Amino acid sequence: MVHACKERQCIEMENQGFQGTQEYVASPELMASVNIAIALKKPLLIKGEPGTGKTMLAEAVAKALNKKLIIWNIKSTTKAQEGLYVYDTIQRLYDGQFGEEGVDDIARYIKLGKLGEAFDSDEQIVLLIDEIDKADLEFPNDLLWELDQMEFYINETKRTVKAKHRPIVIITSNAEKELPDAFLRRCIFHYIDFPSPELMEEIVKVHFPNVEENLLKNAMEVFYNIRNIRDIRKKPSTSELIDWVNALQIGGIPTETIKSALPFIGVVVKKDEDLETVRQSGV
Amino acid sequence: MFIDFFHNLRSKGLHVTLGEWLTLQEALDKDLCGSSLTQFYYVARMILVKSETDFDKFDMAFEECFKATQRETEVGAEMLRWLDKSDMMELAHEEARDHLNKMEEVQVDKEDVEEKFRQRLKDQDSEHNGGSYWIGTMGKTSFGNMGGNVGGVRVGGKTGYQSAFAVVGARKYRDFRDDRVLDNRQFQLAFRKLRQFSSRLDIPESELDIDGTVDKTCNNGGCLQIVMKKPRKNAVKLLLLMDSGGTMIPFSHLLNDLFQAVHKSNHYKDVKTYYFHNCIYSKVYKTPECENGDWVDTEWLFRNIDSDYKVIIVGDAAMAPEELYSTTGNYRGPNGGLSGYDWLLQVKRHYKKVVWLNPKMAPGHAPWREAETAVKNLFPMYKLTVDGLNQAMIKLMVNK
Repeated sequence: MVHACKERQCIEMENQGFQGTQEYVASPELMASVNIAIALKKPLLIKGEPGTGKTMLAEAVAKALNKKLIIWNIKSTTKAQEGLYVYDTIQRLYDGQFGEEGVDDIARYIKLGKLGEAFDSDEQIVLLIDEIDKADLEFPNDLLWELDQMEFYINETKRTVKAKHRPIVIITSNAEKELPDAFLRRCIFHYIDFPSPELMEEIVKVHFPNVEENLLKNAMEVFYNIRNIRDIRKKPSTSELIDWVNALQIGGIPTETIKSALPFIGVVVKKDEDLETVRQSGV
Repeated sequence: MFIDFFHNLRSKGLHVTLGEWLTLQEALDKDLCGSSLTQFYYVARMILVKSETDFDKFDMAFEECFKATQRETEVGAEMLRWLDKSDMMELAHEEARDHLNKMEEVQVDKEDVEEKFRQRLKDQDSEHNGGSYWIGTMGKTSFGNMGGNVGGVRVGGKTGYQSAFAVVGARKYRDFRDDRVLDNRQFQLAFRKLRQFSSRLDIPESELDIDGTVDKTCNNGGCLQIVMKKPRKNAVKLLLLMDSGGTMIPFSHLLNDLFQAVHKSNHYKDVKTYYFHNCIYSKVYKTPECENGDWVDTEWLFRNIDSDYKVIIVGDAAMAPEELYSTTGNYRGPNGGLSGYDWLLQVKRHYKKVVWLNPKMAPGHAPWREAETAVKNLFPMYKLTVDGLNQAMIKLMVNK
């Protein structure tokens, strides 16, 4: 471990940019990937087990660099076009009926999407494209040009929206669908590993600075034992551990009973079959 | 720079493109790696590798290229195997903690440990577990893993991040590795061809009906009245019949991919999957295990899954002649008094669109493969490749 600490310090020292925040503990590789994505002006693609803090990363980056965060949540019905702009034809039609002022100005009915908003902003923005794999198979391909050149063209008004300050783009994926190669080639990729016990301790302490040492030690031991059971279906992740520690604290459970009685274990293990497995294995 | 590394990566099967390579050069140019090899490892990995499944290949290429710069002693594969004892974890747990408590106070001299470690690597020639001198699991020396010693050299076993070579040596991304030849995505794209839009489905009206709007507005004396309509949705229904007989076992990966692709393509109105063993008889099975009793009548299938379902049969069509033509030659499940060939004829008669995908189709005419030729005459048959699948999808869409 002596070696590891040294490495970590040296990575931290080399980076003057993003270094995690008070609320978000990032591994050195993750910090490095954020800074390199910024330096190379490429989108950062983050993958990892659910609950390892992919979405929170963008918030932390925005906070650390003191920039505004724009979140574009992707759903299965999201189209790439919606992120750029939407032309509200129906509103214009209605307004035209009643001779409303300014109907001949199409620009009034062009509403910029999240990506458009980020490009058009006067300051540099952190843009989070959350769960890109939820969308249609073609979705990432439709955004290639826009993310590469950081500009798009509005047909109706013949206006080109070009990013005044290149936004810091962070994209998360749960690997539900495979992303197209052409898209991947343009990204910096980072896979969030499951945190080691040392890092995990740090993370929990960030959330609960006053957590009792013994409680945390016992809870973490049970937690990592559960993750080590081979036939568990859904492995508990960071967010579940944090919830559990919180529940244990609020419930005022005596620390000695954590390992034997497994109080509130439903917070950590969510599937019936898994509960059964945990009880049988007797962690 | 490092052009050998580039070629090495490609020879390991990583499709690093020139664009990505130039990005890495740019990063080096901007001095983003400092002069640290570890930093270079992470920077190169995040630029060149885009999936955790490829991390292992990258690790291996990296190790090969930069091994000469490695300061630490190399740990042989053999030794790592001796140490791969994660299943002992639970057993060792109690013991290890006891040791930890006792040895917390022990001061460890790092130089000394490393020196001894190197020496012992040289001498050790067999597996050791639980001893107090050699490198092994659950022991008391400073070397190996799961031991009770606090300040030692961890060899194999569980590891955190740390220096590049600690990661490379641990090969922690080995489990993610997948060497599938065919990309699932290509299959999915092929299945997208199977589209037939219809607006007669039971979904909310969320699209502007332009013709209707103009019509209503005219009737309304020019005052605008908006009419909405249902969007057009894919109405294709799919019936998948998969052979899971013994001769199909070599292709199970391929079939799995195909199955995944069909189920990930959520744009179909309905997908039904049934299994058969070598040939379709009077029963089709609900699971790939094809267990007796876990089945439905093929005639029930005809009654309940109507004829506008598009049918994809996947199988190697390598039945023995008696399996296809004899009414007594079938050895799995009942056949209802008809031969396999007759059952296939029934399928052909009932469903309008049927294609057969064959993972090991013989090229051209193959008279020596009697069953395959016979099935080919019944159904259009395509080889189970991305290309064949594309052709089959087109066949399913066009009119006869």
